[in-house]
Parts: sequence; C-alpha cells; structure tokens
Amino acid sequence: MLSRRLSLRSVVGRVIAVTAVGAAAIGATLGLFFAANTRLKEANADSVRAARVSAAAFDVRGKITELGSAIRGVVASPDRASIARWRRAESAWEPSLETLARAAATSEDQEQRTEALRFEIRLYVTDYGDPLVRIAQLSPAAARSSDANTEGSRRLQQILDHTDGVAQSAAVEAAQRSADASRLAHQATVAGIVALVLTPVLLILLGIWLARLVAEPLRQTVEAASAVAAGNFDVRLPERRRDEFGSLARAFNAMTQSLATSRRELIERAESLEQSERHKSELITMVSHEVRTPLASVLGFTRLLLERDVSEAERRRYLEIVDSEATRLAGLVSDFLDARLIEEGQFALRREPFDLGALVREQAELTLAHDDAHELALQLPDEPLSVEGDRARLTQVVGNVLSNAVKYSPGGGTITVGARASAGVARVWVADEGDGIPPEHREQLFEPFYRGGAAAAGIPGTGLGLAVSRRIVEAHEGHIGFDPLERGTRFWFDVPLYAGNGNGR
Amino acid sequence: MMAAQALRPLILICDDELPLRELIKAVLGDRYEYLEAEDADQADAVLDRFDPEAIVLDVMLPGRSGIEFLTELRERRRERPIPVVVVSAWQSQQDAQAALGAGANAFVGKPFDPKELADVVETLIAA
Ligand SMILES: Nc1ncnc2c1ncn2[C@@H]1O[C@H](COP(=O)(O)OP(=O)(O)O)[C@@H](O)[C@H]1O
Ligand SMILES: [Mg+2]
Repeated sequence: MLSRRLSLRSVVGRVIAVTAVGAAAIGATLGLFFAANTRLKEANADSVRAARVSAAAFDVRGKITELGSAIRGVVASPDRASIARWRRAESAWEPSLETLARAAATSEDQEQRTEALRFEIRLYVTDYGDPLVRIAQLSPAAARSSDANTEGSRRLQQILDHTDGVAQSAAVEAAQRSADASRLAHQATVAGIVALVLTPVLLILLGIWLARLVAEPLRQTVEAASAVAAGNFDVRLPERRRDEFGSLARAFNAMTQSLATSRRELIERAESLEQSERHKSELITMVSHEVRTPLASVLGFTRLLLERDVSEAERRRYLEIVDSEATRLAGLVSDFLDARLIEEGQFALRREPFDLGALVREQAELTLAHDDAHELALQLPDEPLSVEGDRARLTQVVGNVLSNAVKYSPGGGTITVGARASAGVARVWVADEGDGIPPEHREQLFEPFYRGGAAAAGIPGTGLGLAVSRRIVEAHEGHIGFDPLERGTRFWFDVPLYAGNGNGR
Repeated sequence: MMAAQALRPLILICDDELPLRELIKAVLGDRYEYLEAEDADQADAVLDRFDPEAIVLDVMLPGRSGIEFLTELRERRRERPIPVVVVSAWQSQQDAQAALGAGANAFVGKPFDPKELADVVETLIAA
C-alpha cells in the first residue's frame, strides 16, 4: 500500500519541496525590490521634509534676526515705534518656531534640538530682551552702555547657530536615508540581475533533475513492461529507490514473479496431465495385453475342444492349460479389485493373532515347490513369531514379494526368505540374486501400475503387487521397503508384534 | 518312420507365452514339425540352423517386437522368402497393416478361430 503522507522520499514531496524553495527565492527577490522601493520613497519624503525644515529654519532665522534688530532699535531710541516693533517681533517668532518644530519632528534628537531652541529664544526674550527694553525706557543711556549689548549679540549668534544646526541635522538625516535607500536599491538590482541569470539555469537543472527523477525510471518501467508483454517474466526493476518508483518496482517485481510462478505451475500441470495421459495409455496397453493373452489361450483351447475330437490325454492337458490361464485371469481381476478397493480406502482388516513365521515358511515352500531354477534358503526363528493382523492380507503381501523375487531373477540363484522379531516388530525379508532395480526406477516402485523396466523386459505383471502390499502393510501400522544388494534385491516389511502373550520378544 | 518325419513341414512358432505356443501347436496338429522361440533373438538363432516352411509370429515380444524381427528378416533374405503368419492379441487394424506392411503373408488376430489359422498356414505352405 502506498503511504499517503508526503515525505521528501516521495517524488511528489520532492517536486513540491523544490518548487517551494524556488518560489521562496523569487518571493525574497521581490521583497527586496519592494523594500528598496519603499526606502527610496521614504528617502524622497525625507529630502522634501529637509527642504521644508531648512525653509522653516530660514524663517525662524529671520524672526530671530528681527528680534535682534528690534532690541537694537529700542536701545538706540526707545520710542513708541521701536517698542512696538519689539513687541511684534516678540510675538512673531513663536509660530515660525512651531512650524520648524513640526517640520523637524522626525527624530528625538531634532525634537530636543527644537525644544532647546524654543527655550533659548524664550530665555533671550524674557531674560535679556524684556529687561533691556525696560532699562532703555528708564534710562536709554544705561541701556546703550550696558555690556548687555555684547552679551545679547553673542546669545543671538548662538541661537542662530542652533537654528542652523536643526536645518543641518535634517539635511544630514535625509542624506543618510537616501544613501541607505540607494544602497538597498543597488542590492535589489544586483539580486534581481542574479535572479534573472540564475532562474533559467535553475530551471534547466530542475528539468534535468526531474528527468532523472521521473523519466529514467519511467523508461525502465516501460521497457520492463514491454519485456513482460513479450513473455519474458524474468525481468526485474531495481528496488533500491525509496519513492513511488521504488514501490512501483516492488509491485512490478512481485507481479512478474507471480506471473512466472503461475506460468511455471501451468506448464507443470500440463506436463503432469500429459504424463498421466501417457500413464493411462500405457495402462490400457498393459491391461489389454495382460488380459488378452490368457484370454486368447482360454478361448482358443475351448474352441479347439468344441471343434475337434481329441484324445482323452490331450483333452486333459488342454483343460489344465485353460484352468491355469483362467486362474491367471482371476488373479488379475482380484489384483485390480484390490487396487481399486485400497485406492478408494474401503479396506478393513480382519485382525487375529497368528504365527507369521509359519505363514512365511508355507508361502515360500509353496512358491518354490515347482521351481528348479531357484534355491530356497530359510532363516526363520524356532519359536512362533506372533503378530496380530489380517492373515489373508499378509499372505498376499508375502506372496507378492516372493513371486517378484522369482519373476525378477530369471537367471535363477538362491532366494533367501527370513523372519525375526526385533524392537517390537516382526520383520520379514525376501532376497533374490536377480538383476536388481536400477536407481531411476527405485522411487516409483510402490506406485500403482508402475513396472519399471519389467514391461520392456517382457516379464508379465500389472505393477499392482507392491502398491497393494504397501497399503496392506501400512494399514497394519507397518513399513515396507527394499535394499539393493550387490547381486539382486532384498525386499522387507515390518508389522507390530502381538502384545497379548509373552511370545513377542 | 524317419521318412515320414522328414516329409513333415517344419514350422517355427515365435511367441513368448507358453500356453499360446501350445495352442498353436494343438491347432495346427501333428501334420507339422515344430520349432519354438520365445523372442526375436531365439528366432534368429533357430533360423541360422533350420530352414522352416513357415513362421507363426507374435507381435508383442519382449525386446525386439515381431514387426521389427519381420522387417529385418525380409531385408536379409530377399530370395525364397519364408511365408510368415503374424498372430496378435492386438486385433486392431493398425497392427494388421503394420504386419502386412512389414512383409507378412497373413495376419490372424487372437483369440483366433482354430480352423482359420490351420487353413491359412496350409494355404501358405501349399503355395
Ligand atoms: N525382486 C525384484 N527385483 C527387481 N525388480 C523388482 C523386484 N520386485 C519388484 N520389482 C520391480 O517393481 C515393479 C513393481 O512390482 P509389482 O508391484 O509387484 O508389479 P509387477 O510385478 O506386477 O510388475 C516390477 O515391475 C519390477 O520392475
Ligand atoms: Mg509382482
């Protein structure tokens, strides 16, 4: 499942992050321009104000000069006109100063300066001007001779200097601001040019990066998908990426793998179907051969007996052959019935305690009674070998293994048949000195209808004996198997010993 | 007695099943003298020493099949070919065709009618 969270590992996350960084850079450049523009406007406003301040300072300067001239007029001739001029000057400076104060109120320093100027002028009027006017009214001579005139000029000059100071400060401030503004404007311009040059470069890099990030894995995926479409399920995409393409690659690989698996399964199923078809036709061949041969004898001899007059001796011999071939057919039929019964699992044991050793001896002697090609060697214990099992079924097993030993050692030799109790089980073995079982046939020997090389060798049989024997032994909770010998094969089986009496060692 | 025996035609019966060899002998009766072989190799060995008038041949033999044996026989001995009757438990059309194609003079399916087989062999030897 794909994670819905945006992370820097995902393609979408990375593209968004890079876009955001680009947008932030463009925003910062614009912000710089905006700030520079604002500063420039402010600097403009400042120089306008500085001009106003210097105009106001000039006005104030005039008013102060008028104050000085008026007081000098009063000292020279303290008449009504000069005194009136003084009074006018006395009341005219304050509005001008107010204008200057308002114009210059850009910083605390300037405010303090204008305030100090106001105080100085007021002091000049009250502490110097007014008293001198009064003295001049009382005694013009005293006023004229007084040192106060020099003092007044000095103070006036100081006031004028301070007034100029206000104007100058305003001018300096304005110049400063304008320098700041133009520096900022310069920076903004440089940043703008850099941004202008870098943007296409960055866009190209971004394009290359996106191509790497998206186009290359996309191309790989398309190639791999085409390969899959062409039937090659072995292609794999690199899974090391941790973004969407990594997830895509993992999903893709899982898909191709499961496709490959299902194709393999289909092929295997088709092959096993083919094999079972082949088995079936082999089986039909085998059955028809196994059935037709004895049937041909039975029918042939019966017809012969019906059509011809034969001697009593011949009649007997023919009937004996018919009997033995019919018995062979009956054996085949019961083999098939057993196989079906056991295959379908409807198979009940009739258990009873009996001596397995005696059964083995009986069967061995019976099987080899008319066999001149083989020697029989018995290895049986003296005491009975008690097991609890289905006597008829176990007889079948012993008979199968014995008849195989005879059948598959056509060259004769010794057939060793033994039984013994060991570790809670009774073991029975039958060894022959035949050609043995080639390794390639060993695995399937206990499969129904499997005959190894026997059919090709022309040895009659159905391939059911060992399959039926294994079911019977396993129904007794036992095991059946074989050991290849240097010459021949030893087949063996184990069934549990009878626990009901003391005989089982 | 010796002369009478020498006059009896020699017939080779090649079949791996003893009861079937017995049956063929019983069907053909004591007009003929019999040689027996259980497989193609034995049949070849018999032919090295004897010159039978006819061969009764089974198809399903262990090892080389009757058809293979017959094909090789026909290739080896081009002049004076021995008449061959193929008998088979395989009554299929295919088997009959394969047998005749390989050079058999007659094909009789098993289980056969005793009279039919006897007639076929008699006709072939008389020819
Ligand atoms: N003692 C033996 N020696 C060699 N091969 C054997 C022996 N017993 C069994 N086999 C092989 O195992 C196959 C299966 O045996 P079985 O189930 O008894 O069937 P059948 O004898 O009818 O062919 C035989 O066809 C034969 O190839
Ligand atoms: Mg068997």
